[in-house]
Formats: sequence, C-alpha cells, structure tokens
Amino acid sequence: MSNCATILLSFLSFFCVRLFFVIFSSRRIRLAPANPRPSQTCSIAIFLGSGGHTTEALKLASALDFSRYSPRTYIVSEGDAFSAQKALALEHVKATDHVFSDDQPQHKLLTIPRARRVYQSLLSTPPDAVKSLLACMYLVSVRPLFKKGAFRQPFVDLLILNGPGTCVILCAAVLLNRLIGLPSPRMMYVESFARVKSLSLSGKLLYHFTDRFVVQWPDLVQPGGREVYRGCLV
Amino acid sequence: MLVFVTVGSTRFDALVQAAISEPVLSTLRNSGYGRLVLQRGNSVIEPEEFNEESTIQRHGVDIEIWRFKPSIYAECEQADLVISHAGSGTILDVLRLGKPLIVVPNPTLLDNHQEELASALQILGHLKATSIQDLASTIASFEPRDLVPFPPFDGTKFSKLVDEEMGFI
Repeated sequence: MSNCATILLSFLSFFCVRLFFVIFSSRRIRLAPANPRPSQTCSIAIFLGSGGHTTEALKLASALDFSRYSPRTYIVSEGDAFSAQKALALEHVKATDHVFSDDQPQHKLLTIPRARRVYQSLLSTPPDAVKSLLACMYLVSVRPLFKKGAFRQPFVDLLILNGPGTCVILCAAVLLNRLIGLPSPRMMYVESFARVKSLSLSGKLLYHFTDRFVVQWPDLVQPGGREVYRGCLV
Repeated sequence: MLVFVTVGSTRFDALVQAAISEPVLSTLRNSGYGRLVLQRGNSVIEPEEFNEESTIQRHGVDIEIWRFKPSIYAECEQADLVISHAGSGTILDVLRLGKPLIVVPNPTLLDNHQEELASALQILGHLKATSIQDLASTIASFEPRDLVPFPPFDGTKFSKLVDEEMGFI
C-alpha cells in the first residue's frame, strides 16, 4: 500500500515539476527561432471565437504575408457559420492579391465543439467543456501523429488566440501536449481592442500560459509584466 | 443631411427609443439633419408600428427603420453623422470611414467595458461619448471638425510581431 502511494506521489511530483518547466521554460528561456530561414514557410492556426472575436482575429490574419504563413487553419466552433464564411471571404480576397505557386490547398476550416454556449447553465458546462477538450486534444496531439511524412511535426507552428471560452480549452490541449513532450505550436494571445483597462476572462486565464501575450491599450501594460504593446493592431 | 443610428447585433431599446424621441429629433432637425436611418437590430420600439420596416415622418425628420442588413457599410458611407452603441467592431468601422461618431455605451451590460473603450477614444479625441439622457444636448453641441482622425489600419505592426515570434526577424 505504501509502495503504491510512493509511486503515485513520485508520478505526481514528476508531473508538477514537468508542468512548471513547460509553463516557465517557454517564457523565461526564449525558444530557438522556430523558423530561422526567411525562405521557409510557417503553418498557422487561428481560432475564430465568433462575432467581434472573429472580426478581430481575421483582421490580424489579413496583416500576415500569406505566402510565408501557409498553410492556414481556421478553427471555428460548431454551428458558427458566420466565422466560417468570413474566413473564406478573407482567403478569397487574399487569393486575388497573390498568385500562389502550387495547387496545394493553402487553407482549411476545422470545427470543434463549443465549451460553453451563451446563457448555458453552469451545471451542464463541465460535460461540454470535456467534450471540447477531447476534440482539441485530438486535433493538437493525436492527429499530427498519424499525418503522413510529417513525424514529430507539431499540429501547426503558431496558434493565434483572442478569446473567448473555447480558446482556453485549445490552449489547455496544447499545454497537455507539451506536458507529454510532443512537438507543440507556439501560442500567441491577442487581447481584444475592446479591453482598455482590464483583461478579459480568457486573457486572465491565458496570461501565464501563452508564449506571447499582446495587448492593444497602454493601460494594460504592467511594470515588469510579460505583455507586449504595439498600439492598435486591428 | 443624414444621420445613421445603429445598435449592431445587440438589443438596446433605450438608444432606439431615444433616437426617435421628440428632444433628439428636434435637435437633429435644428442641426440640419432631415433624414434618420435607424438600424434597430434586436431592439423593441414603442409604439408598435415602428417595429415594422417602415418610413415615417416625425418632428420634421424622415425616419427609415430596419433591423439588419448584411453590411452597414453603405449606410455609414452615406451618413453625415453616426450614432452608435459602443461595440468595438462598429466603432472601428465608422472611425476608419472617417465619419463623425457619437457613441452611447449600453449601461445595462453586465461587464461594462464598452464604457471604458468609449471614454478612452473620447480622451484621444476620436469620437464623442454620451449617455441616453444627454444624447440631445450632445448632438446640439457636437462639432465634427474638432474630432481627431483615427489612424488607418496598419497591418505591419502585427505582421512584425509574428515575424519576430517565428524567427523571421
């Protein structure tokens, strides 16, 4: 019995140390540049959280060089036709600007279950959050393992998040992925332009867990904080 | 001149109601606004007949009311003044079009960060923030020429940030 407890305890402490390492290594020690050569491409995923979140996320995406940041994966919540439409519209506009070199599809849409709907009772939230987490884990951890010819490649090189709820679950899936040592995307969180003096709930939750934390108003910059402020980005 | 009132996808009864109230309409007419386009979204108006898509004349102003259109770009483009809820998306769209903007934050919202955004942008001189009660007097004293133009969208700030993060710079 005491043996069991000892083993369990050592496993637990191992995971605690590992968790600490995973969270803090990415912020304190800068990871080696993911992609040092300018000629290479970099795959990205953008979470589209519906409504205003989607509008801002796609505005950010529109700023990127699509021939460098390719392929692009748009992650939308179940039933969010608005976000899917807007993402395709952006791709359409960009495609008329650029001529892409090959016939490979440059973008795709992925759907994940919602963690919590607006007005959903708190009691029914946990099962939905678990369902959402499992879907995110499949996306981030399981699927890349079975991808042909891309062993030990992360799901994408960079994941861009800007809220709300479901993006926290997505971030948790990436952290779990790091915990078990699988290749993981970098994560960048961009707080909404609407947040002037205080962070949103997603922002507060993800503050310590993303590799870059970006705000759009100077009042959100704390002395010695890890947030980056470069003015209005959207 | 044309004034466009919009509440986006929200429900903001107090703003649409105020927009067709006697004090606001009279002030608008006195300031030279003969036409009002009112996008009411999910808001409910009294009297009942205003809830139909309709064109009405009231206190000397021609009022056109509807709920939603796929894009409010055309309306903003035509308008000489926009009066809006303080949603960040609408604010950015209107300011980027260079239209004079008065915003009314919705006081019934629980986590009222709209108020913060409105007053931060007012301090920078990009718009005028007001309340339902003060809407008429704000319109009366409003000077579009005093507003500071909002900087256009600059994608290089974010693309530089991402390039840095991914080691391209």
